[in-house]
Amino acid sequence: MKKLLVVALALNFLVPAIAVAEEKAACPTEFVVYLDKNAKDNHYIPSGWMGDYGDIKMNDQAADNPHSGKTSIQFMYSAKKSQNQGWTGVYWLNPANNWGNKKGGYDLTGMTKLTFWARGAKGGEVIQKVMVGGVNGTYPDTASVEMGPIELTDTWKQYTVNLAGKDLSYINGGFNWSTTVDLNPEGATFYIDDIKFEADPDLKPEGKKQEAMPFYIYADRTTVANHFIPSGYMGDYGDLRYDGASKDDAYLGDTCIKMTYSGKGSQGARWAGIFWQYPANNWGGVDSGFDLSKATKLTFWARGAKGGERIEEFKIGGVMGEFSDSDSATIGPVLLNKEWMQYTIDLKGKDMSYIIGGFAWSANVDNNPDGAIFYLDEIKLEE
Amino acid sequence: MVLYSIWMRLSSKNKNRGKAGGRVSFVWRTVPLLLFIFILSACQSKQGVYIQKLKNQHYRLIVNGSPYIVKGVCYNPIPRGLNHEYDWWSDPNKPWIVDGKLMKEMGVNTIRLYQTHDNPEEVRQVIRDLYNLYGIRTFLGDWLGFWEYPCPFYGDKKFQDKVKRQVLEMVALYKDEPGVLGWILGNENNYSCLGHVKPWSSEEVDQELDPQKQKAMRAKIYYSFVNDISKEIHKIDPKHPVGLGNGELVGLEYANEFCQDVDFVACIIYRGKTFGNLFKSLKMTFDKPILLAEFGADCYDAYLKKEDQNMQAFFLESQWKQIYKNLANNKEGAGNCIGGTMFEWTDEWWKHTPDNPETWKIQDTESGWSNGSYYFDIRAQNNMNMNEEWFGIVALGEPLENATPAGGQGLDKRIPRKAYYVVKEFWKNPVIKKSGGKK
Repeated sequence: MKKLLVVALALNFLVPAIAVAEEKAACPTEFVVYLDKNAKDNHYIPSGWMGDYGDIKMNDQAADNPHSGKTSIQFMYSAKKSQNQGWTGVYWLNPANNWGNKKGGYDLTGMTKLTFWARGAKGGEVIQKVMVGGVNGTYPDTASVEMGPIELTDTWKQYTVNLAGKDLSYINGGFNWSTTVDLNPEGATFYIDDIKFEADPDLKPEGKKQEAMPFYIYADRTTVANHFIPSGYMGDYGDLRYDGASKDDAYLGDTCIKMTYSGKGSQGARWAGIFWQYPANNWGGVDSGFDLSKATKLTFWARGAKGGERIEEFKIGGVMGEFSDSDSATIGPVLLNKEWMQYTIDLKGKDMSYIIGGFAWSANVDNNPDGAIFYLDEIKLEE
Repeated sequence: MVLYSIWMRLSSKNKNRGKAGGRVSFVWRTVPLLLFIFILSACQSKQGVYIQKLKNQHYRLIVNGSPYIVKGVCYNPIPRGLNHEYDWWSDPNKPWIVDGKLMKEMGVNTIRLYQTHDNPEEVRQVIRDLYNLYGIRTFLGDWLGFWEYPCPFYGDKKFQDKVKRQVLEMVALYKDEPGVLGWILGNENNYSCLGHVKPWSSEEVDQELDPQKQKAMRAKIYYSFVNDISKEIHKIDPKHPVGLGNGELVGLEYANEFCQDVDFVACIIYRGKTFGNLFKSLKMTFDKPILLAEFGADCYDAYLKKEDQNMQAFFLESQWKQIYKNLANNKEGAGNCIGGTMFEWTDEWWKHTPDNPETWKIQDTESGWSNGSYYFDIRAQNNMNMNEEWFGIVALGEPLENATPAGGQGLDKRIPRKAYYVVKEFWKNPVIKKSGGKK
């Protein structure tokens, strides 16, 4: 009887212990994307090349100074705009080239961060952002999290994307980096190594942080601190030409923005304009607004090539979609001078807590029958 | 009259007291008078419709002494095959009788009419039928000459006088109708000040070269004009509030300066599932109560090219939740909303191509404009996702049997859409929580 009792008690303690062990085995603490060329634990394939994909060369077994093991991945970005996009990037997908048209996502529930190591060949190279998830299609990812911009140093440094609190139950786009010509006008060579998801139970979800002021939308072409992308072409978009690196008498720094509006009415709308969005082409479909609550005004400098160009509206906010901007504010119509002039959009009393559309302008043919060329510089939000 | 007789009796009792002494006599004479005035004023304050500002700076609408949430619809019952010129007021089928019954069953307590009709008797009949049969009240509106050709000359004194006269005539004609809830002046007329639609100018404005100053001058002219009408209305009708129709919040910084005599703002808002910062923003810009005078969603999926009643129901439920959240005394909201009149009761089949009568017989599925806030079908070609002929809470079908022919046909059958039932349930049990996706 005593023996039976001892066995029963032993079983009583052992069974839960075995169960816990099994649970632990079922909940790995890391999930590797890349360790070394041909490492058996690697997942996802760097196969989703985007934008100016012709500008990229990849060596996934670069042996010079890897962070660990024998290899790292080297990217050489020429910034030649091979596809005339002005930006490029690479997605790690599963299986290769799967943009969500077939099942391939991993259930990464339990992981709370993605970490990777990176370095530039010279230092100063800029990755606009890195991303986890965000692939759409028939089988869309359950999360989309991004971090950046990152200005690389010439020594290895670890970077972390906080994934705590995110739904990682289906992730087909394991990792992605992207950057632009504007941020790397001379191109960039950089290295990435040891990309992995990790389970860190102590990591807390990242709250939406209020952005510090001043918050630049455009300072200079290569400024890392620039935010929002002039991607939302509206109306007669064929009439517009954007040059974010004009050296025609910039107000401050090396470059300014040169906007050319032909007024030809290419799409028959008789008006045109551009929205600066985040991320590019986000008309409210992606939950990614900045909290700009600290701003009390948006200021910018503008001038016309001849003077007398009429802009109907300068604007911040007002993007309406599934995720809409929390407010909008405008000035206009504005008749531009030939000389630089500073303009201010008053934001007092406005709710700037969620902004996807950081800046916009619009003009029409009726008031610019011969089109308009004008310049913008030093677009920023201020406290 | 009852109060008057009580006062007389009290007074006469005092007289019978004879030499009761000057002070006592004065008291006995004065107290009943004061009591009478107090009761009279208390009763008077319970009559009519007005806006009440609460201690917490919230606003609510009071109707005959009780708080009133506007649960309304915009009403323009144009039959299939006809256009906006159709005189539905004299329709022998009396569509408002059928509609009123359905509305009452849904919980609608208010309709918004954009403009009255030439025949006052017919207008009265509609207002009375809806009120007497179903308890439904009416906001009466006036376009303020917005559709006049070539444009509304708000800078012209003669034009102003003509419009003002028309509005005051309307007020004089219907102010004593128990079913009238208030007046709404204009709709999206403010956009004309920006030159977006129906642009107008004046000599004074033309002399100014700075377009921003021109805009400010036009806004000053327009909002001062509306303010002037509002003041005149209050003189002849102190028992009903006056609303300023306004597209979005555009221009209200000028209204704050020049149009303080309106009682509320009647905003036209199409922002999809949420009104965003609308309520707080209004409080900062022009601290008046707000009626969502036009909002809603169409029920045609321009991307999948098929009717989608779930989509419409999803947006409307979400919008009503926002309205309720911002009513007075709700701690989570701005407390400045008095309700809404959603767009609209029935579909209107003439709207997409108003100049082609052949198309009024079919419900056009081509989209007329784009709005990313209605995101389910924004991937439609050229992002054109808004279908003007599909905004009805109630669809139109084949004419009802035994209906009197009107314009060559009987009364179109009313077919409530899913939104009808969803909003009905929400009004019965208004739980304000986040909406899920469309079901």
